[in-house]
Amino acid sequence: MAELNIDNVYKSFGETHILKGINLSIQDGEFVILVGPSGCGKSTLLNCIAGLEEVTDGRIVIGKDDVTHAAPKDRDIAMVFQSYALYPNMNVRKNIAFGLEIRKMPKEEIDAEVHRVAKLLQIEPLLDRKPSQLSGGQRQRVAMGRALARRPKTYLFDEPLSNLDAKLRVEMRTEMKKLHQRLGTTIVYVTHDQIEAMTLADRIAVMKGGVVQQFGTPQEVYDDPANIFVAGFMGSPSMNFLNCEVTESGGNYAVQVDSEGRIFQLPIDPKQADLSQYLGKTVILGIRPEQITHVMPHVEAEPFVTKVPVKIEVTEPTGADTLVLARINDQECECRVHPTEAGKPGEMMEMLFNMSKAVFFDPETEERL
Amino acid sequence: MSVSNKKGLDYWLPKLVVSPTVAITVIFFYGFVIWTAVLSFTKSRILPQYEFVGFDQYVRLFLNDRWMGALTNLLVFGVLFIAICMIVGLIMAVLLDQNIRAEGALRTIYLYPMALSFIVTGTVWKWLLNPTVGIERFIRSLGWDSFTFDWIIDPNMAIYTIVIAGVWQASGFVMAIFLAGLRGIDTSIIKAAQLDGASLFSVYTRIIIPSMRPVFFSAFIMLAHIAIKSFDLIIALTGGGPGNSTDVPAIFMYQFSFQRGQLGMGAASAIIMLMTVLAILVPYLYSELRTPKNG
Repeated sequence: MAELNIDNVYKSFGETHILKGINLSIQDGEFVILVGPSGCGKSTLLNCIAGLEEVTDGRIVIGKDDVTHAAPKDRDIAMVFQSYALYPNMNVRKNIAFGLEIRKMPKEEIDAEVHRVAKLLQIEPLLDRKPSQLSGGQRQRVAMGRALARRPKTYLFDEPLSNLDAKLRVEMRTEMKKLHQRLGTTIVYVTHDQIEAMTLADRIAVMKGGVVQQFGTPQEVYDDPANIFVAGFMGSPSMNFLNCEVTESGGNYAVQVDSEGRIFQLPIDPKQADLSQYLGKTVILGIRPEQITHVMPHVEAEPFVTKVPVKIEVTEPTGADTLVLARINDQECECRVHPTEAGKPGEMMEMLFNMSKAVFFDPETEERL
Repeated sequence: MSVSNKKGLDYWLPKLVVSPTVAITVIFFYGFVIWTAVLSFTKSRILPQYEFVGFDQYVRLFLNDRWMGALTNLLVFGVLFIAICMIVGLIMAVLLDQNIRAEGALRTIYLYPMALSFIVTGTVWKWLLNPTVGIERFIRSLGWDSFTFDWIIDPNMAIYTIVIAGVWQASGFVMAIFLAGLRGIDTSIIKAAQLDGASLFSVYTRIIIPSMRPVFFSAFIMLAHIAIKSFDLIIALTGGGPGNSTDVPAIFMYQFSFQRGQLGMGAASAIIMLMTVLAILVPYLYSELRTPKNG
């Protein structure tokens, strides 16, 4: 177990710059998730940590050891791959034992270790099977078992759940979290699935274009996004972005929205943003669908809540909630309402806009205000 | 035009198009195999005749010294040819798999010998191995006067010259098969093994090569049937000589059937060769066809 410091890491392949100065300081025992769209450099960063790719510039420090130029095997890390990368010619027992055999561990200790891991992951009945005889979920467990057997300082996971079907993925996600709680080791985990990131991570590093956009706890990233990209990437359905003009009403700043020709002022919580510089200008209002709901009397009385009638374009029932697509300021805006309250497409419906968690972005820089 | 008429054409056209091929295959392939089998049980000499003598021709065949010599040669040639081709092919494939530059060009160069006819290979190697014009003369002309490389005229060594030419021709092809196998291996397996601490050498010897067993098997099958049926290479290279020292079953079959008027015995030897090929192919096909069940 050890902390992991990634210090100003650059990685380029010729003229293609994949990582552009990554700084991450990961604490001992922390579960950190690198999340981002395809091509954002998250897997490259993981490979750099593993030593499978040499960094172009910068340092990687695990514990007290600078491992920037160390071979993968000397970094004391284990990695679980998306394709599981099980050795096809060996049975499960051999797969788990391989790394230990290479390290010349005595035979009895290897056996004991294989059994410990197999018991931990409940794969004891599979020990004599070949990988080709296992289901996806079982392969996944074996791949984790292989990583666990060496008791490394740090675990790296490269999209380990993305080859599983949806149901199994949710199960394995929970198991992964339990496992981390039991082991308490440092984990760096790459995924493109923001739900996986939210549910598993202690801290999330949202990446785009080879740059870490934001590094924080799931709640921070969700409530307090650093820019439009992070705000839009995290959360499903994603945040609504509406271009609005900033006005002043009753000593408070507000943004102006237009619904079917009627103008409404949505007062802004001064804690969320200081928009004094933007009076009369356009900003991007970021508001999550769950902050636009049907009329609920106990919410209506709260400050920064405004009632706005909107025209329903489309409704999408999800079971627990119904998503209502409305048109505000001539832009699409998704609202989350209780299924029984949802109107029909073409009808008008009154919505409560709760601005207490709304965020604002500069339309030019797309940075948070 | 009625609907049923149209349907009829749709139904018959594919069968019509395929039928000449099927007919040709049935008559000239299976038909002649059966005819050969029938002849092998008859007293046929220079022309086919149908006086059946049971297994007499087979008994005569296996009492014939030349046939036994041909079988021995086939064994020597087959074992060496298959083993060396596999080793050379595998080494070339592994070396070519190291992300080297101009891999496509090199691969093509290695594969070219396979594009040649065995007759061409045989002729070229006959010249190369000929002591008076080939390698021996070349080395001597460089100054090593006592250099000798006359295997092709040495009855004890001539069979090995066939191995040399055969390996030269087929190992590039084996390399291509192995390379395809190596490429089929998930690169993250290699990464995983690196993280486990395995050296590149043990990654190959302990993981990649063992997991290519089906590829080895395919290569073996192809080389084995090339070896058993080899005829043109030997005809071109040594003509079965010196003496009968490079005789193989295919040459034996040809000479006894068509030059020595022993059609019955030739047919018997042909059937033995067919059985040998089948003995290799049937287990292969069996294992190939049942693999999907194992996933």
